[in-house]
Amino acid sequence: MSSLTAETGLTPEAELLESHKKFMEDKSSSNFSSLNKIGAQQFEKLGYPNSKHEMFTFVNTKSVATGFVSAKGSEVNKGQIAEFVYSGCERSLVVLVDGQYRENLSDLSDLDNGVKLVSGEEALADSKIREYLESSVQDENDTFAAINAAFCQDGLFLDIPAKVVMQSTIQILAISSGANGENESSYPRVLVRVGDLAEAKIIVRYAGLKGNYFVNSVQDFLIGNGAGLGLVQVETDQKEARNFSKTRLILNRDSRFSGANVSYGSALTRCHLEARLKATGSEFRFNSVGVLEKKEQVHHYMRVYHEAAQCSSDMHFKNIVNDQSRSSVDGTVIVEQDAQLTNSDQLINNLLLSDEAHADSKPNLIINADDVKCTHGNTVGQIDEEQLFYLKARGLSEAIAKTLLTKSFAASIVETIEFPSVRKNVEETLLKKLEANDG
Amino acid sequence: MLDIKDLTGGFDGNEIVKGVSLKVNPGEIHAIMGPNGSGKSTLSKILAGHPVYEATGGTVTYKGKNLLEMDPEARALEGVFLGFQYPVEIPGVNNAEFLRMSYNALLVNRGEEEIDPLDFDEILDQKMKTVDMDPKYKDRFLNDGFSGGEKKKNEILQMAVLEPTLAILDETDSGLDIDALKTVANGVNRLFNKDRALIVITHYQRLLDYIKPHFVHVFSDGKIVETGGKELALDLEKNGYDKYIASGN
Repeated sequence: MSSLTAETGLTPEAELLESHKKFMEDKSSSNFSSLNKIGAQQFEKLGYPNSKHEMFTFVNTKSVATGFVSAKGSEVNKGQIAEFVYSGCERSLVVLVDGQYRENLSDLSDLDNGVKLVSGEEALADSKIREYLESSVQDENDTFAAINAAFCQDGLFLDIPAKVVMQSTIQILAISSGANGENESSYPRVLVRVGDLAEAKIIVRYAGLKGNYFVNSVQDFLIGNGAGLGLVQVETDQKEARNFSKTRLILNRDSRFSGANVSYGSALTRCHLEARLKATGSEFRFNSVGVLEKKEQVHHYMRVYHEAAQCSSDMHFKNIVNDQSRSSVDGTVIVEQDAQLTNSDQLINNLLLSDEAHADSKPNLIINADDVKCTHGNTVGQIDEEQLFYLKARGLSEAIAKTLLTKSFAASIVETIEFPSVRKNVEETLLKKLEANDG
Repeated sequence: MLDIKDLTGGFDGNEIVKGVSLKVNPGEIHAIMGPNGSGKSTLSKILAGHPVYEATGGTVTYKGKNLLEMDPEARALEGVFLGFQYPVEIPGVNNAEFLRMSYNALLVNRGEEEIDPLDFDEILDQKMKTVDMDPKYKDRFLNDGFSGGEKKKNEILQMAVLEPTLAILDETDSGLDIDALKTVANGVNRLFNKDRALIVITHYQRLLDYIKPHFVHVFSDGKIVETGGKELALDLEKNGYDKYIASGN
């Protein structure tokens, strides 16, 4: 049963549907209108989740339930976003502000030949794209992704044609302006198509300028036959912010995906990743690292579907939780009946730095094929006393030794990040959090 | 330099070291030999300040200070070095970087400036040569995936870089082939001089063919049961520890 919200006395469902009605009345008809309608219908079907919903066991959805107003998409200048642009991506930069594509802030001069970027509005004019998006929303199982579809007004579509091997790394920067006061919501929507035998490298970075905003994004990556995609998603939001994202990956025959997620910590971050290994020979690798302190929360919900034979998946999560912070990883690999000779590994490691910190892990396997090799594992630990003594016996102070050990815990993930500028930032900024915690 | 008087201690309430007295002066090499389980390693861990091991009685004075009251890192900064019997693997911590941090901690403790990374690299390269270690081990994670021999060499490398005043080597020779043993002994001998002291804990006499001790102590059941010169080690080699174990019981 849903609780009533304080502001309106309505259930979150009713309130959201009410504001959707108003949203549809206020906006002029666009290519997004039908997607918005389908999104709202799907939301109505799914309902507003509470912690009894399997998908939200560890996530307090109340705090993002209501009171949020759609961000208007305010003016932001280049100076305000410069610090969020990774070095090397200055000329292959795509900027969304409050979910809306901003040409004046983007710079596409280094994009490789044939790579096409169009706004969501334009992309939806293409019936194929519209059909894909609409059917994905009709099948959507995540309430917040349905809400995104109900309210999104723009986004972008990136098309990497077949056989194009991109030299540049594209950074998609999703800025939340927080300009119009507290509790702004934005709904970025990104669709990337990597053509057959193409190779692409993409960084998706979330950042906010101020405030307690809620960014609720959906990203689709369609990876063609024999194509490769390197993706890193980095959440560098404001500390009070809430960031929900749904990332859907479709892997076709012999395609490769190598992904990483880095959470810098915010009031509530939730990453839902759905990967479908649709055809033989596809390969999925995913690493994730989070460093949390104070009351920060990061939750991962991950479903990997092995739908064809001879595919492999490998996932590794590492979370360092300090103070009263919380992390959770709820990951299931589903091996369908036809997916013989599947190889799958899933590992979750948590490092607890305080008695009040909390780390939940739920690694799971559902196997319907009979010739597969699948593993899953989970550890929760504190700093190893023998390692600590070893370092101290070489003259390092307790504080420095602990910092070194917590950093070393993250290192095996950090070093797999394929993008040097992201890795450098992680080392210089994210891992600094561990130093600040030394007492 | 080091004065141990009637030291007792162990872990979890078990007394393993049962009254050890030992004086070590600068310029001396002491070998402590004894059967497995006699408490040699426990003694070394108490001296280095391992948190699990506790001294329950007696005193340990190092350069006039009460060693037992000092944190492990303070002992290290004062020049006490424990060469671990089983060096810990720490994946994620770069070997060279760790050594530089350790080296800098000593410098800062002496009131000196931290060393420039490039200058340190030169020192490290030179020291690695003396212990016959491949430079590739600089970029490896600390002891991570090292063979037994490489781990022990890495201990000696750390010792060579940190130049301790008092080094306690806990079974540094076990598990080494003869070439590695010679290398390790060579590294130890290079470091040794009249201002430094060395305690070599070993099970085998073999090491003492290469590191010449001034004193050999036989350790059994938590105590030093006999002290002599290096001829005692040869006697042990020939006759084994049996008579000491019997007397220990």
